[in-house]
Amino acid sequence: MKIEYYLPEKIFSNSDLESAFPEWNAGKVEEKVGIRERHVVGQNETALDLAYHACEKLLAGEDREQVDFLILCTQSPDYFLPTSACILQDRLKLPKNCGAFDFNLGCSGFIYGLAISKGLLLAGIAKKILLVMAETYSRHMHQDDRADRSIFGDASAAVLLDAGDAGNIGEFELGTDGSGWKNLIVEAGAMRRKTDPELKPSQDENGNFASANHLYMNGQEIFNFTIENVPAMISKVLEKNHCGIEDVKYVIPHQANKYMLEYLRKKMKIPAEKYHNDILLTGNTVSSTIPIGLKDSIDKGTIKPGDKILLAGFGVGYSWGAVVLDIGFREKNQL
Amino acid sequence: MEKKVFIEKFREALEIKSAAMDENTALKSIDGYDSMSVMAIIALVDELFSKRLTAKQLAEVNNVKSLMELIGPENFS
Repeated sequence: MKIEYYLPEKIFSNSDLESAFPEWNAGKVEEKVGIRERHVVGQNETALDLAYHACEKLLAGEDREQVDFLILCTQSPDYFLPTSACILQDRLKLPKNCGAFDFNLGCSGFIYGLAISKGLLLAGIAKKILLVMAETYSRHMHQDDRADRSIFGDASAAVLLDAGDAGNIGEFELGTDGSGWKNLIVEAGAMRRKTDPELKPSQDENGNFASANHLYMNGQEIFNFTIENVPAMISKVLEKNHCGIEDVKYVIPHQANKYMLEYLRKKMKIPAEKYHNDILLTGNTVSSTIPIGLKDSIDKGTIKPGDKILLAGFGVGYSWGAVVLDIGFREKNQL
Repeated sequence: MEKKVFIEKFREALEIKSAAMDENTALKSIDGYDSMSVMAIIALVDELFSKRLTAKQLAEVNNVKSLMELIGPENFS
């Protein structure tokens, strides 16, 4: 598995946050939520642009004629149609015998992407998959939504997967609870409800501005959802993979916010040295948090070839998924 | 759980420095009480009682007394 990621150039720091919202304690954002900076796209930049840059980084030194499948996970496509992955195939000059499609997931996206890829590879439908996460929640948020602007960052992450990698991907535990659909949503702009430029944002009890045209997140309900579902998911995925937490070298949960992640860690009794909890310089990048955490951990030497790791995504939908995989051995400095 | 023990754990979880806080203190009047404080309440109630309180229920909690009523008076002595 080779991984790269791309963060847009523009940074929205805690100082910028305080300038925009003078009554907001940005120090608390770093201390409690664990975020100091987030990268955000410029006005004319989209998730597809971020995906392009991440893929170009990844494909440097690779024979892109070998790529026979491209999968893009995004909730911010360039258009309703055509499929953004088709446009990306063209921009990356991938061969025409390459399959391509988008799928719409957020925080659980990387896990589902691995599941889909494992299936395609083991069935012999694909030999080399370019799996890309790309998200721009900043484009969905209202300017006055200080809570969400504190949390979310934009990014793209891309991985190359072949049959050898598929062999190292273990069993999955996946789940869905659509009753939570309203708790992280951009309600207007697609087919159920048109964007209404007349809609005035209203303020909730936490002082955040949002209208149906913009991103709305009920952090408290999301926290409840994770407490209810994440520990159970982790137990089940370990059971399915016939191992215990003591056999796993490192756990990378979706990096939503430091406080919630730390509470879940304690609840699951996972030792701190085995648990990734770092969004200081990226913020919550939705589907990219896990591959970014994975790449950074590999680069730091926290994870080495031969290690068993557990990845867990959970959030918008509600959707969740976890998998145990072995970090394989590769030639040169690839993993 | 003894009420005063719960109040102490509540103060600790929310990092409340003021000694004057008791079960009748209006939560919104506490310095620094914000959405992170509500997250801390969710975590505390889960940790101590394995109970889940919805955002809607929590919006109606004015003080620790009403929180204890929501958790269930049978849990306190």
